[in-house]
Amino acid sequence: MIEVKQLSKSFKDVNALNSLTFSAPDGQITGLLGPNGAGKTTCLRIIYGLLQAQQGQALINGIDANQQPIQARRQIGIFPDKFGLYERLTVREQIAYFAQLHGLAGEKLEQRVAQVIEQLDIVELANRKSAGFSQGQRMKVALAQALVHDPKHLILDEPSRGLDVMSTRILRDILREQRAQGTCILFSSHVMQEVAALCDRVVVMAKGKVAAEGTPDELCELTGESALEEAFVKIIGSDEGIAA
Amino acid sequence: MTMTTLIWRKEFKDALRDKRSVLAAMSYAFFGPMLMAVAFFFLINQLTDPSDVEISIEGKDNAPELIQHLQRMGITERASPWPDTVTPISLTIPAQWDEKMQRAEPIDLVLKADWSAQKQQSDIKRVERAIQGYAAQITHYRLVLRGIDPRVIQPIQLNKNDLATRGSKAALILGSVLVFIILSVFWSGMNVAIDISAGERERNSLEFLLSQPLSTQSIVWGKTLAAASFAIFGAALSLILIPIIFNFVPLQDIGMSVSFGLPMMLLMFVLLIPLALLATTLQLFVSFRAKNFKEAQTYISFLLIIPMAASFGVEFARLKTPILYYLPLTGQHQTFLSLIRGEAINWLGTGVSALATIALALVIGQAIARMLKSEKTVFGL
Repeated sequence: MIEVKQLSKSFKDVNALNSLTFSAPDGQITGLLGPNGAGKTTCLRIIYGLLQAQQGQALINGIDANQQPIQARRQIGIFPDKFGLYERLTVREQIAYFAQLHGLAGEKLEQRVAQVIEQLDIVELANRKSAGFSQGQRMKVALAQALVHDPKHLILDEPSRGLDVMSTRILRDILREQRAQGTCILFSSHVMQEVAALCDRVVVMAKGKVAAEGTPDELCELTGESALEEAFVKIIGSDEGIAA
Repeated sequence: MTMTTLIWRKEFKDALRDKRSVLAAMSYAFFGPMLMAVAFFFLINQLTDPSDVEISIEGKDNAPELIQHLQRMGITERASPWPDTVTPISLTIPAQWDEKMQRAEPIDLVLKADWSAQKQQSDIKRVERAIQGYAAQITHYRLVLRGIDPRVIQPIQLNKNDLATRGSKAALILGSVLVFIILSVFWSGMNVAIDISAGERERNSLEFLLSQPLSTQSIVWGKTLAAASFAIFGAALSLILIPIIFNFVPLQDIGMSVSFGLPMMLLMFVLLIPLALLATTLQLFVSFRAKNFKEAQTYISFLLIIPMAASFGVEFARLKTPILYYLPLTGQHQTFLSLIRGEAINWLGTGVSALATIALALVIGQAIARMLKSEKTVFGL
């Protein structure tokens, strides 16, 4: 369970988050939908403790990452806004490194690394260095890094950007698998189809605030529109920054 | 602690696979002493050139005795023509030599040369000395012939007594070698330090690393140890190579002796370890603030001025205050100087400066750890 309570954050003159409140329950996929610059990345960074909120708090399983960053981060797997890979390490070494940072060792480490490589279908890549990988291959490695310690919470920042259809499908399958295991999944996106296809709940963000919240169907009902895209445009009051 | 080791191992492995980092660490240690040795080699060769000085002599039939004297002093007439790049040294003996000599009148000899030519300095000096020597002989004879004690024209005899020991002479030249050794810890780990800080940011992997469940202290110390390992490796390589290379430089020809004993080298190595930590933390501090590799390189090259100033500056300014023994950087430099001069070592100063170096490295490390918690630095806000 991830809870965001009354979060406010500003950078100099820019008000990025304005009393943002929502929650992402376990065993569900919650989509954070908003146009570019709505504050999605800022919100996620506060949740895993890289940014400090000026007001309010974000709790992961009841732990505030601003107070106890290490305990909070043990609970989550992160797919960050920028996921650079270490190009001189092999995929296996890379995944094992982050698994070890989460305290995995010995047989458990070997087992989990092998498992996650299998799960993401990157067995052929496992012993290659990541220099020259395609965007889809990079995404898979980054996702493997986020999943290797079997986290109870998964936070993904626009995971589908730059992916082709096949890679997007793999990503969706993985997220559904995780949901079936009871993982709390929070992901941000500005791609409508993505959210409609995947999310149990949608939190629509605009200008640092929650504009609407509910299942995709509920949002359509709320606005009296049949398609989520139309509903979305109606909710945030403009069609700026949204990809169909 | 385990996290620190983990990061250290990973960064070290990563850096070892980076050809640029490995090459940077090795090349300095390799080529630096080599270059220095070659420079010394030529310098010494010039200073101790034993071959005959060949000059042009005009009117040599006028004074055969003088020519004989010059020959005994290793100065002969040049047979081959002068090369275009060299100003000729020529001596002109006037035709009235015999006549004036008999009447005991001063004889005008003309020596033409370029006194500013660095390479001909010693040649010209030798010619001058030889002629003055001949003049002194004649004076001597004339006085004896007139029944005067020749010592009457030597009221004062200056006895030069060079007190410089062989070691302390060598120290002058080796001072620059010392600076080189000290700089090795700054050079060798530099590329790694940039790569794991500014490089990490440039590759976009910094955010993910900072979102992992570990303290920024672990990250900083793991990375420091990785870069410091390279710095220490470079220092060790320099320390091993310098005595080997200097074996081939004929330092004894200019009255110098240098001995690089094993205990001395070991002590130097041990003293360089805290310095490597300090160098690395300084470099990380600077390059974590840079946005990319290029920017970090620019900042870090300014950083190199610190060790240069601390060692070269102190040496050239002939700064002598006891505080130097106790400070980081200058403390190591002073100890190295004492070691090479064969003087007694100020053990208290050496110890205090080593501890001060470690303490300063710790403070800088903690400052970086704090910096990595600040969103301003991490995201460049």
